[in-house]
Amino acid sequence: MNRIILLVDDDIFQLRLFEKLLTSNGYHCKIALSVDEAETILQSEIPDLIVSDFEMPGKDGFEFRRRLLKEDAFKNIPFLFLTSINDKDNVQQGLDLKAIDYIAKNTPPSHILSKIDNLLQAVREHYERSLSEVKGIAERLNLRNIPLKAPTLNKFKIEYFNQTFQNQPGGDFIDFIKINDRYTFIILGDVMGKKWGAWFFSFSFISYIRSAIRLCVFDENYSLSEILNKLNRVIFVDELLSDIFSTLSIVLLDDELGTIKYAGAGDLPVLKFEAGESELKYYRSDGILLGFSDKGDYTEMDIPINSGEEIYMISDGMIDFEINGEKKSNINLFKEKLFNFKNTKETVQNIKNRLFDKHISQVDDCSIIIINKL
Amino acid sequence: MNVTRQNIDDLVLLTIVDKDANLSKSENFKEIVFKEIESGTRKLIISFEHVEYLDSSFLGALVSILKSLVPKKGKLILIELNNDITNLFELTRLDKIFDLRNSLETALEEFK
Repeated sequence: MNRIILLVDDDIFQLRLFEKLLTSNGYHCKIALSVDEAETILQSEIPDLIVSDFEMPGKDGFEFRRRLLKEDAFKNIPFLFLTSINDKDNVQQGLDLKAIDYIAKNTPPSHILSKIDNLLQAVREHYERSLSEVKGIAERLNLRNIPLKAPTLNKFKIEYFNQTFQNQPGGDFIDFIKINDRYTFIILGDVMGKKWGAWFFSFSFISYIRSAIRLCVFDENYSLSEILNKLNRVIFVDELLSDIFSTLSIVLLDDELGTIKYAGAGDLPVLKFEAGESELKYYRSDGILLGFSDKGDYTEMDIPINSGEEIYMISDGMIDFEINGEKKSNINLFKEKLFNFKNTKETVQNIKNRLFDKHISQVDDCSIIIINKL
Repeated sequence: MNVTRQNIDDLVLLTIVDKDANLSKSENFKEIVFKEIESGTRKLIISFEHVEYLDSSFLGALVSILKSLVPKKGKLILIELNNDITNLFELTRLDKIFDLRNSLETALEEFK
């Protein structure tokens, strides 16, 4: 993915020179002739780096920097000052404003490029280190929103795959709750949002779901609609989650009878592959997002399944694509692709590899659970 | 987030100017709309005329806005959603909680 650099300078000639240098070396540039233009660009896109001139008519580079430092969304964007005035006071003033460094306009292009490459590499490495530390802590606390393995059953085979977005944890969560030799619950949820915020709240949802299922099962109640209705009521009154919403698909496997029940809350339909059919079948739940209203009116359905058939639970990241720079959500594209893989008898591993192909631009974290009737 | 604002009698029309409505804009958008609601606006139309893609963070922001407006007896109508976005609302039953209209005219009729 190309790194985006916002270049700000009132000198269009200088801007074009920098733009040419950077774009021919793999960067994507946004250019602004004034601070006002730069701030308009920032409203629609957050760059990986800002390079700004000191001296500009109207708001100058220092004022721009001061304004950015007041905004949470912008204050941490790496910032370099660009100047033709190589005087110590200006440089010091810039560095006092937490600019990472400055570049003199007469610096040779190869030096400018190395400086920017090194800077972005250092930012990336610092980020990777922090990410790795947080991941390590989460592992030690046994905080997982994607389990290590699926339960082994007699009449079903369960496989699942999750791919994070930009190597950061996300809001998708998967859980398997094996109650006894007969009943196993399979959970797929997606906390609305991305990256850390969604990841953090996924644990609250997992805890509530586990509690709701256990409490119902203690009373010999295996009704998915009752579990979802109870769960929704609790989440609705939880002030900490009043602004956080999650989708949920919940499947109950009966390993004695070989049957499947399903209910959902604002989730994507469960898909099913049947040999001899010309496309994947849909099973749509009727419940709305967890936590929006105290009355969710969740109902459950049976999904008939024969030996050799498969059902797929998916999160919304699976149906989001970026094609020629345009993002799209299209479940039919996904259905067609998956059906073709199945029809040509691809192995599950191949299907996984092709669905999560790195060349297909991913725009969110994505998860799929495959349940095969043996 | 680039949003234009227009008063039409006692209602407010907010038009999202960006073509991607995503995570980087959802918080800012929520702030803009919550300020409207705090200032007393109860009849709100949001136009997606320019929006080509909407991610789950932005959907979450919209749900949050609606959830805050409902107890205040407010009304929110979303207009001019493209086919992909309309399908996403239908697939996830968000069409059950949001009032979706094709055009500003039909939304204004609803407020009469």
